[in-house]
Amino acid sequence: MLEFIVEFFSTPAIVIGVVALVGLLVQKKAAPEVVSGTTKTILGFLILGVGAGAIVGALDPITKMFMQAYDLQGFVPFDELVVASVAAKLGRETALILGLGFLVNVLLARLTPWKYIYLTGHMLWIHAGMWAIALNTLGLSTTAIVAIGSLIQGLYTTLFPAMAQPIMRKITGSDEIAFGHGQTLLNVVGAWIAKLFGKPGESAEEVKVSESWSFFRDMAISMSIIMLIVAIPAALFAGPEYVEQNLSGGQNFLIFALLKALGFTAGVLVLLQGVRMFIAEMVPAFRGIATKVVPGAKPALDCPVIYPYAPNSLMIGLITGTVAQVLAIALLIALRWPIPIPSMIVAFFASGSGAIFGNAVAGRRGAIFGGFFWSFAGFLLASWSMHVQLFGDLSALGAAGVGFVVPDGIAIAALIRLVGWLFGLGG
Amino acid sequence: MRVVALCGMGFGTSLMLKMFIGEILEAHGVKAEVHAWDLGSFKGQDADIVVAPTDMKKHLEGYQGRVVLIGNLTDRQEIEEKLLPVVREFLDAQP
Repeated sequence: MLEFIVEFFSTPAIVIGVVALVGLLVQKKAAPEVVSGTTKTILGFLILGVGAGAIVGALDPITKMFMQAYDLQGFVPFDELVVASVAAKLGRETALILGLGFLVNVLLARLTPWKYIYLTGHMLWIHAGMWAIALNTLGLSTTAIVAIGSLIQGLYTTLFPAMAQPIMRKITGSDEIAFGHGQTLLNVVGAWIAKLFGKPGESAEEVKVSESWSFFRDMAISMSIIMLIVAIPAALFAGPEYVEQNLSGGQNFLIFALLKALGFTAGVLVLLQGVRMFIAEMVPAFRGIATKVVPGAKPALDCPVIYPYAPNSLMIGLITGTVAQVLAIALLIALRWPIPIPSMIVAFFASGSGAIFGNAVAGRRGAIFGGFFWSFAGFLLASWSMHVQLFGDLSALGAAGVGFVVPDGIAIAALIRLVGWLFGLGG
Repeated sequence: MRVVALCGMGFGTSLMLKMFIGEILEAHGVKAEVHAWDLGSFKGQDADIVVAPTDMKKHLEGYQGRVVLIGNLTDRQEIEEKLLPVVREFLDAQP
């Protein structure tokens, strides 16, 4: 019996369900809402696992073709994918850090002058996963991972929005909302550097540009295109013999590459559907609790909230970010470090925000630099984290061919490893 | 009535938008299901009113339902001012 209870409460999907259940009960929701909310959270988590499985199935042959073709190690920089793929091993720790870390955030917002409540659901989940993985490399017990991870999560989600807020005030012209995204470090550092040579008077927003780039907001399309650009040449260079004998089981190598590239995107869409389901339950619950405990707190929100304030900078960021990714990859090929597959998500969401931060403090030059800096530094950091195995052997945890890209988590994970090393943990 | 909030990924901005919309409609005593959806898969969805950021205008051209475009996604007043007339119009059009 006891064994059953222990196993029940250490199943990741159940743990995340319990976190949602507690959130719904604290808000005194009616019974039907509590039942459907809890069930949907668990279903979302299971769907996420299905998506991750499909992605790994499609990605594995693509990375093999890539290695055969270019003799380089490639990986997809996509945070959600890593955390979803390691869920079988560290899902329980991740879910507990997510729940308890939020309480630390609320407590800090209540007690300190930093009144920020972090409400970007997928980022909370990604970072909870990053701390769990980084602390796991130190060989700590589950209890220690959850305790330290929750503390880091609470500090991170309170302090990083506070760090971005001076620039956020310039972007939004008010003090109502805060920035809650794992890309904050590079946005802020990029803006600080741009300040040195920028001209804040010459804003990028004074010029009119076309809207046709918004095409990239449909990530199903942009991701399919990129995966095709990666997979088809890789299949050609790897050669039909290699692909058909070792990977496709006789299926034509080009058809195989096409299906795997699109299959990757299909898996990502399934994964995101799962993320959507459990985050749609979690975020309103968190928000309900936070508004009761910390009245007047500023919500730290997902990066697109700043896009309407600076649409031109966003497009500048997309362009300079794409150029920066190509240059970063060229440098990484020379270094023979793992190669991140170019990402329109990074170019749009991250370099776009980087450009908006740059524009706010340093005008047009700041926008150009901010977007470029984000993708260049971001890709080097992501590759470095794979090169030195900052998060340990991710393949062994179930996440082969994928890596983290959010710089906040990578930088803090490096600190975790450094402190661990000082205490003689994890090597 | 089914209202759908839209964003690129379907769980960041659209979720915030969804919560604002839910609160606004509740404050005005309007009963509605509100969902958050992503740009990629909303076309297969059945919505009476779609609420989206202004820069998604192009993607929504030709959509059969009613569309409300919001410039500042965190400005509750803007959402309220743009959404409510459309909601009333929809409700009046019902038998």
